[in-house]
Amino acid sequence: MKPNHLLIGALLASASFGPAIAQENKNVTVVLAEETDLVEPCMATRSNIGRVVLQNISETLTELDVRDGGGGIKPRLAESWEQVDDNTWRFHLRRGVTFSDGSSFDAEDVKHSFARAMSDQISCEIARYYSGMDITPAIVDEHTIDFTAEPAQPIMPLLMSLLTIVPSETPVEFTREPIGTGPYTLAEWNPGQNIRLERRDDYWGDTPEVSGATYLFRQDPAVRAAMVETDEADIAPSVSAIEADDPELDHSYPNSETLYLRLDHAMAPLDDRRVRLAINHAIDREAFVGSLLPEGTELATAIVPPTTQGWNAELTPPAYDPEKARALLEEAAAEGVPVDREITLVGRTGNYPNVTEVMETLHFMLSDVGFNVDLQMYEVAEFENLYSKPYPENRNPQLVAAMHDNARGDAVFSMYFKYHSEGRQSGIADARVDELIAQATAATGEERAKLWSELFGYLHDDVVADALLFHMVGFARVNERLDWEPTIATNSQLQLADIAFE
Amino acid sequence: MKRMIGQRAAASFLALLGLVVLVFFLSRLTGDPAALYLPIDASQEMLENFREIHGLNDPLLVQFGNYVTDLLRLDFGESIRKARPAIDVVLEAFVWTLQLALITMALVTVTAVVLGSLAAFRVGGLFDRLTSLISLVGASAPDFWIAIVAIVLFSVQLGWLPTSGTGSVWHWVLPVAVLFVRPFGLILQVVRGSMISALTSAYVKTARAKGVRNRPIIFVHTLRNAMLPVITVIGDQAAAMLNGAVIVETIFGFPGVGKLMIDSILQRDFNVILASIVVTALAIFIMNLLIDMAYAVLDPRIRY
Amino acid sequence: MIVSAPVPDTNHRPAQRLFTVLRMLWADKFAFCAALFLLVIFACALLGPAALSEAASQVNLRGRNAPPFSLENGWQFLLGGDALGRPLLARIIVAAQNTIMVAAGAVACSMVIGTTLGLIAGYAGRRVGQVIMRLADIIMSFPSLLLAVIVLYILAPSVGNLIIVLAITRIPIYLRTTRAEVLEIRERMFVQAARVMGASTPRIVFRHILPVIVPTLMTIATLDFAFVMLAESSLSFLGIGIQPPEITWGLMVSQGRSYLTTAWWLAFWPGLAIILTTLSLNLLSNWLRTALDPVQRWRLELGGKKT
Repeated sequence: MKPNHLLIGALLASASFGPAIAQENKNVTVVLAEETDLVEPCMATRSNIGRVVLQNISETLTELDVRDGGGGIKPRLAESWEQVDDNTWRFHLRRGVTFSDGSSFDAEDVKHSFARAMSDQISCEIARYYSGMDITPAIVDEHTIDFTAEPAQPIMPLLMSLLTIVPSETPVEFTREPIGTGPYTLAEWNPGQNIRLERRDDYWGDTPEVSGATYLFRQDPAVRAAMVETDEADIAPSVSAIEADDPELDHSYPNSETLYLRLDHAMAPLDDRRVRLAINHAIDREAFVGSLLPEGTELATAIVPPTTQGWNAELTPPAYDPEKARALLEEAAAEGVPVDREITLVGRTGNYPNVTEVMETLHFMLSDVGFNVDLQMYEVAEFENLYSKPYPENRNPQLVAAMHDNARGDAVFSMYFKYHSEGRQSGIADARVDELIAQATAATGEERAKLWSELFGYLHDDVVADALLFHMVGFARVNERLDWEPTIATNSQLQLADIAFE
Repeated sequence: MKRMIGQRAAASFLALLGLVVLVFFLSRLTGDPAALYLPIDASQEMLENFREIHGLNDPLLVQFGNYVTDLLRLDFGESIRKARPAIDVVLEAFVWTLQLALITMALVTVTAVVLGSLAAFRVGGLFDRLTSLISLVGASAPDFWIAIVAIVLFSVQLGWLPTSGTGSVWHWVLPVAVLFVRPFGLILQVVRGSMISALTSAYVKTARAKGVRNRPIIFVHTLRNAMLPVITVIGDQAAAMLNGAVIVETIFGFPGVGKLMIDSILQRDFNVILASIVVTALAIFIMNLLIDMAYAVLDPRIRY
Repeated sequence: MIVSAPVPDTNHRPAQRLFTVLRMLWADKFAFCAALFLLVIFACALLGPAALSEAASQVNLRGRNAPPFSLENGWQFLLGGDALGRPLLARIIVAAQNTIMVAAGAVACSMVIGTTLGLIAGYAGRRVGQVIMRLADIIMSFPSLLLAVIVLYILAPSVGNLIIVLAITRIPIYLRTTRAEVLEIRERMFVQAARVMGASTPRIVFRHILPVIVPTLMTIATLDFAFVMLAESSLSFLGIGIQPPEITWGLMVSQGRSYLTTAWWLAFWPGLAIILTTLSLNLLSNWLRTALDPVQRWRLELGGKKT
């Protein structure tokens, strides 16, 4: 309805509101926290866009399997793939697939999609996953395509789970009418209000149960939770733990975010291992779980979630031991480390539910063992200035409380950025770390897992690189008429085809 | 009157220009949109490329020159975030805000003027105390607090009204009610105060001395004179509302211009901020003009 | 008939005048309670942080959201504990300082600047008036929250900067009200008479015009006091107001809002503090209006017997 006709229309309309839930209604309404301001497939790795677009409208060649144990790669638009040589991977494409505009899907579309995503005419977000490598697609035949990478990319099938496929006719500019091979098409889009997807009849796979979906946007978590309660919405993928008080409706899921304090090793006193250890022992991690952070939150020993290849199960989180922390500080002070220098604890407003309370508590715990800490909360832009290189010149030593999201199953998407001496958010410069990252990135299979594992252990126990805190948990509120469980991928995509009705 | 409108239009244009200059440079002082738009681990080339595409690499003055040149052709530029013309984004949102502001202010004005005048007739009476107290308590509570309590009460507990969003006339009830509270308290107080002064002033006494016993006549005469400060306050409140009701829009998911502006500054989507400022400022200038005309009508002694 | 401008009575000695004021205050019981309450708040603002900031920042995650009206953990927990297990009563007392400083600072600055500009705009020549009014238009058409957000992004959200931001956004309301009243008052007979009798401009403005406007300005200022407190809390709602570990009532309400259904006291008590302070200021201002108005003063001098 157009806004200017709204009042009249509304007066004529019946007094009903919300989705009138009839017996045969196979529509779902999803209420999201952040507006989907674009529906561009090449931006689908951004979570607010991916939740609508990814695998619903636009599909990828491969897909990360998060349901069964995790880690595996499933075929999607590619039926199979194999490694031709060290640098080249060959993908065999599915036949009989059509786009929603009727055109058929072939290797030319894949090539164009890749070129479009990498184009410097538009800023596609997918491109960041292919930075630092040189990838060339080559069409073998209509249903076969090769990707050659320099340096070699052992995880090429995983990388292809990020590339959304568009028809070869798609112009190199942001589209508002995305065409994809997915089971749904964009039916209606009222910016700022709602987006509507409808099921296609000619989808290549099984016909999903859900016939259409409406996406709404509400910033306040209390409102989102209330909407499911009043049947105005069916799924609220993120409500805060405080509202999630109804076990019938609320489902917790690991949301693949890891919270940690990035320590600035270039600045005294954080350049001293004892001081870093003292920070770790000063924090009573367990006290947060079930209070400020929901039950189910796990203590972190690495920056990636436990579903990641090469997870090191032998590491244990540092114990809460304020006495030990004080002793370590005294020891360091005795050797002339300036432990009473003011340290800035940096947080980001609105980062996750209760962020302010968590930061205040961390501030209190660190002050309690004798650190001279100043808490500063910044909004996202200013925060990123402090979080990413180049770091400000005249800074205090900083503890930056940041969240990192890696649901991709491989640590390569994290380790370089967060720990390599050249990494944009790295607080350390350690030759052994750089070497391990380089080796692991080039390795495959068991070898790769072993190297990542070794790196996690080295960072956690030997370097004490940072203060790893929690693997975070999210809550989704789901209407009882649906049969759907959120997963670790829910943060970045929400496949309507996974939803069934009770 | 025509001359006055002409002068005001010219003056308004200057003020608008001042506003654009101010917002252009102030907003650019707040940071670089590239860092926000691109993921945190984006490479340096991606950042550079992004700035190049959106013309953020040029010197600030060149950017400003380009902006003003485009603006004179009524081209407000593209929204970085939404990849569509900024003015389209803003106008869509402004239509909602305008409706919300008009409905709310009409209701506020009528109720506040009626109740405020009645209260002034018996200063210190029960009705006076009661309206003052209720309007004040309402106006003193944070609006986000009222909004959330109202949703919990009327939507979740009682199930009478939808929680949020747009679509039917019922969707308007809660946002309008929450928006109503504060200007109502303020305007009611001003009406009351102004009426008390007017009722005790010379001409009313003269009228009474001359034997005008008819309350309605006294009421109408007094109200007319008491309206000057009231109109000023109504104007200020309406202007604030035309600028969008950020909190109400945020909580109720109402697609108005207030939330758009705050989101855009958060995302450093400069073109959208500027376009919304220009649109709302124009609306407010028009409204101020109407208010000044109202002054002149109400009080013939005022000359422009 | 000429309504004389109020002329302060200077015959009484100070002690006697204080007594008169107190008696007139006592005559209006509401105003009396309000004055008492405000005294308490100002005492909290003055002494609170020095006495209680230690207790107010003691985090105890295992005793969070302690319910109110229990003296088990000491009197500071009379109003309950917050989400971090800190005593609410102690926090409200400590927060009074920042809250009052921000609100009073912003209101005072905007009132002084706005009124001055308004007097100039109303009484000086047309051209000056027009320039000032256009400046007011610029500020008024600048959405106040947006202006606040932009400025607070550039500057840090400290108490001082908050005062500046909030004051700027409130100037036009005083300016426009003052000007509107001046335009009307200066045509009145007593001002014309004073002018004819050769009174200087400052004398006319400050002795004849200003006193007539003050009651209206006071009404607006007291309501504005509430507005500024609420605007400050709106900024907290948007996450850009005062940042912890600093506290204000507005921040406390904003932080407590997510617990409205589970632990209502978190947002309720600081909210009540805001409401009561505003209410008191308003009751006091109503009393002040009456006390300052020679035509109305008899109501109070007669000892509160209202007719």
